[in-house]
Amino acid sequence: MSSRAQQKAAARQARLEAEAADRRRAARRRGFARLGAVSALALVVVVAAVVAGPTGGRDAGSPAPAASATFDGIPQDGISLGSPTAPAVLTEFADLQCPFCATYARDVLPAVIDRYVRSGRLRLELQVLSFLGEDSVRAGALAAAAARQDRLWPFTDAVYRSQGPENSGYATDAFLRTTAEATPGLDVARAFGDRDRPRALATLAEAERTAEALGVDHTPSFHLRRGDGPARPLEPSALTAAAFTAALDEALAAR
Amino acid sequence: MSPRRLSLAVAALSVIGAAIAGYLTWVHVAELQPYCVGGGGACERVQSSPYAKLAGVPVAAIGLAGYLAVLASLLLRDRSVTAFLALVGAGFSAYLTYLELAVIDAICQWCVASAVVMTALAVAAVARMYESIVRQTPDEAAAAGGHTRRHVA
Repeated sequence: MSSRAQQKAAARQARLEAEAADRRRAARRRGFARLGAVSALALVVVVAAVVAGPTGGRDAGSPAPAASATFDGIPQDGISLGSPTAPAVLTEFADLQCPFCATYARDVLPAVIDRYVRSGRLRLELQVLSFLGEDSVRAGALAAAAARQDRLWPFTDAVYRSQGPENSGYATDAFLRTTAEATPGLDVARAFGDRDRPRALATLAEAERTAEALGVDHTPSFHLRRGDGPARPLEPSALTAAAFTAALDEALAAR
Repeated sequence: MSPRRLSLAVAALSVIGAAIAGYLTWVHVAELQPYCVGGGGACERVQSSPYAKLAGVPVAAIGLAGYLAVLASLLLRDRSVTAFLALVGAGFSAYLTYLELAVIDAICQWCVASAVVMTALAVAAVARMYESIVRQTPDEAAAAGGHTRRHVA
């Protein structure tokens, strides 16, 4: 092969290698762009899931879920639910922002009412605390006003069913008004007028005092009092209807 | 690490993650208390919290579906699918861990284990995709870029 032919072949080889290197560089650029796009898309999906996901509460002003029939036909008096002559009283300490209090209200309370309260074996008391934040204070004040109308239990039930993300500022007047309007039998205008009055504030202060006296340090917390006896902590192994009623049965049967 | 080893690592982590998520799904559906070292209170607290469901579906079941999807995506030629699924899983796991620490105030050991596995899975899946990008042969590069120009002289 002549020298000229060799030079031509070498030049061709160099050109092919340069083009291959160009193709590799271009493919890498596209690959990294694709990796970036995949990461960005993943981020968008995660943010969307977080926004619409497990913490998604109801927007202020949107309709509250329909009231349940859980409390229908049961005597209500202030913070109490059930017969005034019931031989035992179960006191719950709750913060309306506490997600576990909402779990209890949703999953356990209906069973407790059906099994013990409707039959007159137990009276329930709800002591509303407001330690989690400003949303707790605002919702708690209206709850205390609802207690003045003997509508504490259905009001808190309505709050729990619309509970928003903790301390997100969701408990606005618009949110509370919509929730109050979903509470059967509650005079909404009167409740809003009462929420800053001494009797409502006294109800909340009494709850704080009682909690402190009993050493309550978390919510929901439960104490059972039989007759004139002392209040004793009730500590179910789990917040399920089965676990709770088992603990309650045991406590009621204990001597 | 070679692409083959990275693929094996992704497969192994997916199986481990699916086992953890499968267990949590089972205890959720059967309403059992998950076994936790030092007592099951914290695990039960997390599992029974309102954050344990997304649109009515147990988060554990979503995790199980995610791990199985990552495993199935290994059959695809396009490695970006695996990386995408693993990154979504890792991001959501990070959010759930934040909820445990800052909101629920309880740590479920199974959930933390799943978050660690999912994070490792995301690292391996992204590394696998990165390897495929930097190790492309000229033919693969040409195929990826769609250049079919041929030299005839």
